[in-house]
Amino acid sequence: MKFNTVIMGGGLSGLTCGIALAKAGQKVAVVATGQSSLHFGSGSLDLLGYDAQGAVVTNPVEAIKALPESHPYNKVGDVAAAAAQAQTLLAEAGIKVNGRATANHNRLTPIGAVKPAWLTLDEYLTFDGDKLQCKKVALMNIIGYLDFPTKFIAEGLRKMDVEVEVKPITLHELNEARKSPTEMRATNIAKVLGNEELVMHLAAEINSKAGDADMVLLPAVLGIKNDALAQLLKEQVRVPMHFVATIPPSVPGTRMQALLRKRFEALGGTFLNGDRAVKGTFAGSMLKSIETEKLEGTKLEAENFVLATGSFMGRGLVSDYEKVYEPVLGLDVDYIADRTQWTRDNVFEAQPYMEFGVKTDAQLHTVKDGKVLANVYAVGQVLSGNNKVKLASGEGVDMLTAITVANNIIKK
Amino acid sequence: MADQMQLNNISENNFEQCLKCSICTVYCPVSAVNPAYPGPKQSGPDGERYRLKDPKFFNEALKMCLNCKRCEVACPSGVNVGDIIQKARMNNPHKPKLRDMMLANTDFVGSMATMVAPITNFALGLGVSKAVLHSVMKIDKHRTFPAYASQKFETWFKKNAAADQDKYSKHVSYFHGCYVNYNFPQLGKDLVKIMNACGYGVHLLDKEKCCGTALIANGMYDQAKRQGETNMESMRSAIAKGRTVVTTSSTCTFTMRDEYTHLLEVDNHDVRDHLTLATRFLFQLLDDGKIKLAFRDDYKKRVAYHTACHMERMGWAIYSTSLLKMIPGLDLVMLESQCCGISGTYGFKRENYETSQKIGDSLFNAIAEADVEAVTTDCETCKWQIEMSTGTPVLNPISIIADALDVEKTIELNKNR
Repeated sequence: MKFNTVIMGGGLSGLTCGIALAKAGQKVAVVATGQSSLHFGSGSLDLLGYDAQGAVVTNPVEAIKALPESHPYNKVGDVAAAAAQAQTLLAEAGIKVNGRATANHNRLTPIGAVKPAWLTLDEYLTFDGDKLQCKKVALMNIIGYLDFPTKFIAEGLRKMDVEVEVKPITLHELNEARKSPTEMRATNIAKVLGNEELVMHLAAEINSKAGDADMVLLPAVLGIKNDALAQLLKEQVRVPMHFVATIPPSVPGTRMQALLRKRFEALGGTFLNGDRAVKGTFAGSMLKSIETEKLEGTKLEAENFVLATGSFMGRGLVSDYEKVYEPVLGLDVDYIADRTQWTRDNVFEAQPYMEFGVKTDAQLHTVKDGKVLANVYAVGQVLSGNNKVKLASGEGVDMLTAITVANNIIKK
Repeated sequence: MADQMQLNNISENNFEQCLKCSICTVYCPVSAVNPAYPGPKQSGPDGERYRLKDPKFFNEALKMCLNCKRCEVACPSGVNVGDIIQKARMNNPHKPKLRDMMLANTDFVGSMATMVAPITNFALGLGVSKAVLHSVMKIDKHRTFPAYASQKFETWFKKNAAADQDKYSKHVSYFHGCYVNYNFPQLGKDLVKIMNACGYGVHLLDKEKCCGTALIANGMYDQAKRQGETNMESMRSAIAKGRTVVTTSSTCTFTMRDEYTHLLEVDNHDVRDHLTLATRFLFQLLDDGKIKLAFRDDYKKRVAYHTACHMERMGWAIYSTSLLKMIPGLDLVMLESQCCGISGTYGFKRENYETSQKIGDSLFNAIAEADVEAVTTDCETCKWQIEMSTGTPVLNPISIIADALDVEKTIELNKNR
């Protein structure tokens, strides 16, 4: 099978790159090994939340300039332009987000902490500084839903000088869903509440419990396919209403994954779900084709290849007792040889292994046995030099490096 | 240090790799509509930890699993969630009910029924028969039974096609499956038409038994294993003659390639690579430049492709859809991959009817919105479910290709290859 570009990895970085290339008219295939870490998403995207010293960043575009040379943002070129392209790409996929690359806003985490963010889905709670635009919040939770610790969230809200009342709500259908408590998860609740009629019932239940609150907050349990039902609920609730991220599996993340895939396929892209790239055939510094686990006997040939396989969790990187390696193509990896230096004892310190990743040149070409590969690029978390937890930079690195590589390939 | 430690995961079905991320539950068609089902994570790797300590932790709710394997496709850690659940069911066997034995024995019941096909079809369509099936047999009255053919595919083949097959220089063997043999011989005829036009002779296996999908689903594992061994034996003799064994059913293929070893311990290591879906076989020949296809200029159709669950698990939808996309007059709409709810014999059972239809609901709506003349899918039980629930006819990709094929031109193109 012949393609212009084959992308290994079907998460945020792989799909962003795939959409950008397919939109430019390329024939693209994405090989996706299982579902992605978008399923743990918060409904917000980070560009740069904290600088290298750990201070909160207000203007990511400016702060990115001060990152160490090894950080992948230094290979993006015009960060503001790439960020704008990312935002357009999301909007065209039907993912409506608010935010600016030059000014972070704040969001609330599922345990009530305040964190900076770049973009946030339209129906989700955001605020500037530590002031909510209200006096009294009705913090609602569905009875039996355990992935939304209201006590922590209420504590976080009260620190912002608002009155908070926790209100349990339910519907007959949600009570039914509790029969299997282990399945009372955000994504299943979203499926139970998957039609307009039930959303209208839910709105009535919320309105009857909202009392004199001037803001309603609800766990993110609505709108797994798109934002239609979430927006409908917002319209029906009599005071301003916003969603707050829950503990995964995440409804907004599942939605983003589905919408990005849909957009990619609508542009003519081929999405090979649940398959795995297993090896490549090289000719000199060029990768000719890859083979996958499921398509035995069929080589996926392409002019360019993109590695978007993620970090350790996505198994884009694998460690054993002696080394860290890239398992598909055996690309060169930046890591510390001395295993005792991979981690620090204090779990809250920056962990060195977080910055391990594949080695790339200035155009994000990968390297194998010390030689740059002319047609193999890497994007997203598989890149070295980014501690996405400490910098709050995960989605930004995913999307901006993906867009950079797509642009580099198109320019060729 | 390394040589003193366990370097590889050694647990069966990779279950120790489960991170408890719950992504499988996001894609489980059953837990979305039936709150009584504990979901794939709980039924699979979580429950397995208890069952390993004491088998009494087996939960009857595991029978609600469709064996669709969408949990395995979704799992980022490569855990065979569906196999863990099926294995647990195998380790806690029940005596199958008469109904389950009837539904599962597709070839025995099929050969009885085809003998008196008009009577069977008439009787199965009667309200009174449906009422009896519903109340006594617990087969849901809403179901339409697939009609039985009056002539088996094997009978047709031996009378009309077998004699011509040796004149070709290249050959394949065809595992037609129960559906083609008893219900829809036309699909088998369509395959013969395509293969012959490409210069391939088609042959039946020495002895073909039902692949066993329905037997596994209904707990008749010993019979499934025996039939599997017969099939592997027949295929070995075909392979020894240099023939690939092709099929036209994604589920039969998946069962014989993967479930035989994962669940039944039927050895297929020497057969697996030579056993493939006909669309994949054709695509690979085309991709390697070994055959060519020509299509009729006057063929026009708008169809939607539905990815059957086991097709999704095999990752082979790309072969069928790539082949279909080669037909110039075909306007192909891709439906979002999701379970139709039938899962073989599951949806026929009265206790599952409601769950089955709820699962399929979103697919049925998507088909209605797609505004197509037909749906195409590689699985026959999806066909029954979609035809019954939407009224849209469902065709196997092979039937579409056979219909669109310019036979004369194709024969000409492949003459000297």
